[in-house]
Amino acid sequence: MSAHAHADSGHGAGHNPFEQHIHPPPTSFFYKYIWSTDHKVIAKQFMWAGLVFLLFGGLLAMMIRWQWAFPGTKVPVLGIFLRRSGGIVTPANYQSIFTMHGLIMIFFAITPLLIGMFGNFCIPLMIGARDMAFPFLNALSFWTFVVSLVLIVTSFFVQLGTAGAGWTTYAPLSTNVGTPGLGQTLVVAAIFVTGAASIMGGINYITTVIRLRAPGMGWFKMPGTVWGLWLTSILNVLFIPVLGAAAILLILDRTAGTQFFIAGAAGVQGGGDPLLYQHLFWIFGHPEVYILILPAWGILVDLVSFFSRKPAYFYKGSVYAMIAVTVLSAIVYGHHMFVTGMNPMLGKTFMLFTLIISVPAEVLFLNWLHTIWKGSIRLTTPMLFALGTIFVFGLGGLTGIFLGTVSTDLYLHDTMFVVGHFHLTMAAAAFLAIFGGIYFWFPKMFGRMMDEKLGKIHFWGSVVFITLVFCGQMLAGYSGQQRRLYDPFQYTYIKHLRSLNWWTSMFAFMLLGFQVPFILNFFKSLIAGETATQNPWQVGTLEWTHASSPPVHHNFDVIPTVYRGPHEYAHPDAQRLLGKDWIGQAEELPSEPHGAAAGGGAADAVAGPVRE
Amino acid sequence: MAAGVSQKAAAVTMGDVVPYRSPRAQRDWTSYLGMVIFLGSWAVLFAALFFSYLYLRAHTPVWPPVGSPRLPLTLPALNTGVIVLTSVMMHLGLMAIRRRRNGVGGTLLLGTFALGSLFLVLQTVVWLRMWDQGLVPQAGQYASVFYALTWFHAVHVVVGLVALLALAVKTWLGKYNAAKHGGVLLWTIYWHFVGVVWLLMFLLVYLV
Amino acid sequence: MRTNPKKWLLALIALALGTLFPGMALAAGPIPQETSYGLPRDVSADGHRIDWLIKVTLIFVTILFVIMVIWMLLAVFKHNHKHKAEYDHGDSRHAIMVGMILSAVIFFVVDGNLWVNATRDLSQAFWNFPKAEKHPEAVRIELNAHQWAWDARYAGPDLEFNTADDIVVLNDLVIPIDRPVIVQLVSTDVIHSFSLPNFRVKMDATPGMTNRFWFMASGKRAKPGDVVEIGCTQHCGTNHYKMRGTLKLLDWEAFQLWSKEASASSKATYDEKSPTRNWGWKWKRFPNEPDWYKQQVDAKKRSAALSSPTSGTTAVATTERESN
Repeated sequence: MSAHAHADSGHGAGHNPFEQHIHPPPTSFFYKYIWSTDHKVIAKQFMWAGLVFLLFGGLLAMMIRWQWAFPGTKVPVLGIFLRRSGGIVTPANYQSIFTMHGLIMIFFAITPLLIGMFGNFCIPLMIGARDMAFPFLNALSFWTFVVSLVLIVTSFFVQLGTAGAGWTTYAPLSTNVGTPGLGQTLVVAAIFVTGAASIMGGINYITTVIRLRAPGMGWFKMPGTVWGLWLTSILNVLFIPVLGAAAILLILDRTAGTQFFIAGAAGVQGGGDPLLYQHLFWIFGHPEVYILILPAWGILVDLVSFFSRKPAYFYKGSVYAMIAVTVLSAIVYGHHMFVTGMNPMLGKTFMLFTLIISVPAEVLFLNWLHTIWKGSIRLTTPMLFALGTIFVFGLGGLTGIFLGTVSTDLYLHDTMFVVGHFHLTMAAAAFLAIFGGIYFWFPKMFGRMMDEKLGKIHFWGSVVFITLVFCGQMLAGYSGQQRRLYDPFQYTYIKHLRSLNWWTSMFAFMLLGFQVPFILNFFKSLIAGETATQNPWQVGTLEWTHASSPPVHHNFDVIPTVYRGPHEYAHPDAQRLLGKDWIGQAEELPSEPHGAAAGGGAADAVAGPVRE
Repeated sequence: MAAGVSQKAAAVTMGDVVPYRSPRAQRDWTSYLGMVIFLGSWAVLFAALFFSYLYLRAHTPVWPPVGSPRLPLTLPALNTGVIVLTSVMMHLGLMAIRRRRNGVGGTLLLGTFALGSLFLVLQTVVWLRMWDQGLVPQAGQYASVFYALTWFHAVHVVVGLVALLALAVKTWLGKYNAAKHGGVLLWTIYWHFVGVVWLLMFLLVYLV
Repeated sequence: MRTNPKKWLLALIALALGTLFPGMALAAGPIPQETSYGLPRDVSADGHRIDWLIKVTLIFVTILFVIMVIWMLLAVFKHNHKHKAEYDHGDSRHAIMVGMILSAVIFFVVDGNLWVNATRDLSQAFWNFPKAEKHPEAVRIELNAHQWAWDARYAGPDLEFNTADDIVVLNDLVIPIDRPVIVQLVSTDVIHSFSLPNFRVKMDATPGMTNRFWFMASGKRAKPGDVVEIGCTQHCGTNHYKMRGTLKLLDWEAFQLWSKEASASSKATYDEKSPTRNWGWKWKRFPNEPDWYKQQVDAKKRSAALSSPTSGTTAVATTERESN
């Protein structure tokens, strides 16, 4: 912890107990870009790492899709990575590909983007802090994460290749019994290390939100984004250690010869218990899916309100719903284990808890829908992505109840239906929210606007094809196709799904293709994008109203005092007194009209002139 | 704690007087909170390890399994005494630094280091004895649980020992004083945590 | 915003790149012609419960989803930037009540329906083991899953498992129609999952533990001689996809005939030293359950011993069985 390591330099903090230390900006390249303790730089580091690994995981997915459309044929372009098998995906390659696709996407793409990037960038700026509570720990978190990336990449080059036991790494397949070789060990170690990085981040986020909120920033005045990230951090800190324990025991089983998860021969009680691994994994694993979606929900609450120019509907309700989900997520994990021979009473209890989760989810949906209703919707790229997230998350969430119910799960368990469902929630919803967030905060991060036209092409391509891909998968699962089959058409009863799989693969390729506009847009905007004003979206949260684009090293010259919640739009007093449709969180309402010249950077093409 | 802060935050807007706290005290408080969250998180890790142990035990008819040597009780009991003593000592060291007696404080910290090392030595003796009796890690669940739990705990002791040495030296060099001793405070909490984990381990692995 | 020709060029490049990969895919081969999808054929006595619940819930969620989409579309088109936003925090008592009632109604209708039907189906069928175990003509199978095949074992005429007259088959199982089939399964290496899509059931085979499940083919939905497939649904290594088996459905008489023949041929190749032949175990009794199997075996043995002198004792044996 470094907070106490800085000498008390007696800067002009004076009597304001909320005033924070201003660290001098670093001057050398190393401290500026490599070992930077600036939360904004660390956010960008997480962003680059996350985007690169997102592409990596995406390309792995394309190989899987190719295999399902054209089993056993040469993979175009990507085949160069399969030189040993002549460009063909072999069964051994295949299991490594889908294993690493899952692990990379979850731990090395969504986690760094959604939590690493947005958490680092948004939390201090949105709550009015100069930096994280523990800047040193923050940098340590990123570089620990890099260590896990190195382990992951190394695992591809060792003998017998990388991990192949599925992203869930179920023992005993993940022990030496099923996957000998160094690769699997390295990957499990990487998960442990990346878990440690997440815990470091989590400690930082929780403490920062508790301790460093600007004066007046009460709990319910925090933006939804901060709420989502904060609750995610709590889940991270509470449940990643359980994964850590599973990883430690698994590594010991693999290297020291212990017997936690290895069981004896048929019908005999041997050493260890494979079910123990599943318990540990899912005690972590179910909260993990909420870890990956809570920040997205938080971002949605904000974006939907910002671009409907209307207060977030029943904001407290949304926050309470997110808290309820956070709590419930800890006690529903058993629904992943309905067909493991679970005690019937336990199974029914888990089913009940799982179904209860749909209540807070309904509250969230109703609130989003009510927020856009009677709004004044601006269909900017971030807003489109937010609406797209609601759309795909609606699909994903509604199909979840089939899997939370024991009897329907007996049929659907471990089919492509599950795959489609969790991709809609964890992949589609999380990524659309991530992209929405990137389009939204890009101007603040880099001081340049992203291109709206390319953004919209990216949006429509992404939302259409991501829906088609995962609905195609759900339909395949509904028709009986199991997941993780190298060649599904070995089974005669699903032979007729060949064309369905073919089309789904085509949609997946199109989905990849439609990420090209994003890549172009990203780099083009980075280099030559239109210069962003301080508040291009005309919204009232602190990072837009009180920090420049991009923010200075210490974020705020004077830490603002917060007077109201983050969603004050269409306020009649604002219209009358300020001549604009929003009030900033830290903006004082004058007692008499201000005239036409009110509001910083009001001339704005996107939000448009406010109509009476 | 959280609610208290937010009330204070709200109080500012209402124009109430907020008691002044020096930035130093504030930062110590923040570090303290961070450490508590970290240890809470780490407690879950140990809880998961204990859960694994109890789960395996509940699914085994006889514990320890037939043919496994029994774990000794005398040495671990002695070790429990040692670890309680280290905790007391470290706390006294912290108090001494708070009372501006760095010499005493540093010596106490070094004493804690010495006793902590003794703990590790005794623990190693236990390991070696069990190893000689055929309880190697490959010997089954009982050995797996015993080694995994004690090894993992020992790693935390080692980390603590390294920190203790550094703290003792820094105390002697006068880097800490009555107003500024956040490092000692944080490591004291950590050391108490490691001690509590050991008590649980002694209770669950050796005694029951 | 000004229209910028450069932007359109960029967009065009993006689109061209976007269609590059599918283009290559199209070049690789023709579109497969098979286009049907939907639930696989149901041959079981209880699978229709699951099908019904899936379909009803599908209707519910489709209604909810369509409402949501229409709501979003209406909002986007009606309440666009020309519409004046309403200042409403939605936290009035009225608004909260409406939201709560809506959530409660959706929860009780959709989730309630799932809960009620699922618990009923589980206690009436899928997890109702007494129903299957008490059936006098239930067929019991021991399954040993391993990489990458299913070893199955029927008790044979002596009704004891792990004896010389056990019927031993690999991957290709045979079961009677309209008789419950109880499967106890284990695994010798990694976790597998025995899945019968045409029966809508599956169960994990986990090393170190014995799991069980039961199912029944229905004469109404299947005809003798039908063959359905067995799949592995738990990733179990490189050849997971090849872990396929078949299940042949016979009527009761044909099944008994088959058992007799299969038992004889299994006996002929029996080798008591071979571990691959002697992996069976004594039929497992689960905690807090009477040993129905033993009772049935005893009753059958008694009736077999007594059946020759008088026919009355058989009736006594039957009543005894029923009273159990």
